[in-house]
Amino acid sequence: MNKAPKQGILMFAHNNQEINYLELAVLNGLMAQKHLGITTEQVTIVTDQSSLDFCKSYMDKELEKAAKYIVVNTDFIFKHSNTRLFKDTQHSPKVLPFYNINRCDAYDLSPYQETIMVDADYLIMSDALNNCWAHNNELMMNWEYSDVMATREFPELARLNPLGITMYWATVVYFRKTPEVETFFNMVKHVKDNREYYCELYKYNDGVYRNDYSFSIAAHQWGGFHDKGVAQLPVKVYKTFDNDDIYKMEGQSMYLYLEKPRSPGDFMLTKWDGVDIHIMNKWALGRISQGIREYINSEPEPQTTEWVIKRTAEVDA
Amino acid sequence: MSAKLTKALEFANYRATMNNQQAKLKAKAEGLLTYSVNGGSFKIDRTLITFCKTLLNDGTEVAVLLDVYDNPILVELKEFYDEVMSRYFEVTNDYYLEYEKLRKSRKTHKVLDLNSEDDE
Repeated sequence: MNKAPKQGILMFAHNNQEINYLELAVLNGLMAQKHLGITTEQVTIVTDQSSLDFCKSYMDKELEKAAKYIVVNTDFIFKHSNTRLFKDTQHSPKVLPFYNINRCDAYDLSPYQETIMVDADYLIMSDALNNCWAHNNELMMNWEYSDVMATREFPELARLNPLGITMYWATVVYFRKTPEVETFFNMVKHVKDNREYYCELYKYNDGVYRNDYSFSIAAHQWGGFHDKGVAQLPVKVYKTFDNDDIYKMEGQSMYLYLEKPRSPGDFMLTKWDGVDIHIMNKWALGRISQGIREYINSEPEPQTTEWVIKRTAEVDA
Repeated sequence: MSAKLTKALEFANYRATMNNQQAKLKAKAEGLLTYSVNGGSFKIDRTLITFCKTLLNDGTEVAVLLDVYDNPILVELKEFYDEVMSRYFEVTNDYYLEYEKLRKSRKTHKVLDLNSEDDE
């Protein structure tokens, strides 16, 4: 009998030579527990043996507390062939392996009846994702996103090509285990296994394998070849990009350096707290990992609400 | 650069930071004003609150409401209304307090709650 909890968070974390994805996932798992009120059993991280061994060498206790682990074999041919440009701001670009081949296995790997699959670098800083549980929509992911800097726009990220289908973000995906959702993940696998064909059909740049593309194509097909056929999450996805940086994490606040749109290399500071956020600059996250740890281990601040106008029974009546 | 222009540019930087912080406050409030129940998700706003109150005044106890996806969701009105009202008051109260604090901040480091030494 399956004794796994019914609901849980799933993350994929495979380190490369520079980026410690597993450490990010572990810290995010602890953040998820803090904000969503879930237990260790409700966080699962899919990783590989070498990433796990590396993290065990210095953060064994945190590993144990953060999640349960599923160790999968690495496809080294894919790992060395699928490389992409990572940036620690535009001053430090690096081409590194991008191991994302097994995201399509989420349905098979998840031990939960209801799963929220998130990127390891999608920091759960609120309880907003709790709005997903027990939802009528069995599959949800966002095609809309919001930049943390409100004035920046990236129209090229809206579609697979300028005249193509809407691009969904596989950054956060909610799914329930149903035969219909299983067909969705089978479609994702089919797209992954037939990249050249789908690249020609949907006219997108196939330089690097991206789950955003394969999930978008599967969403288009699964939604009855209807654009935006899959419902969005009841949660907005906020993003920063890899040209941005992080100054520090202090308490529950993260101070971000956001690159100004018409002034590359010039940054604006922003204070961010209480809203989930996708951080693309992984090195920046690594630099503030101690601040994240301190925040995770801190006691919740006491609620001392100063009411301006308090709702009373009289008001209600 | 003249002192006048330096000051104008400093103000532009302050305004840009202020606008972004205000957008962040709004984002936080919007997130907190989402309420999911019975498999549906609702945006808590004045329209929803007023509609629920109208139904309650008419003596309706259970109703089907359309959620943000336009899916029909069956809700027990009194319980639902109490919950959305309570959330609305809490969130807008916090939003107001934070907004006022922000509005009164006249330096970039104050907008960001940073010590001026940090800012420099």
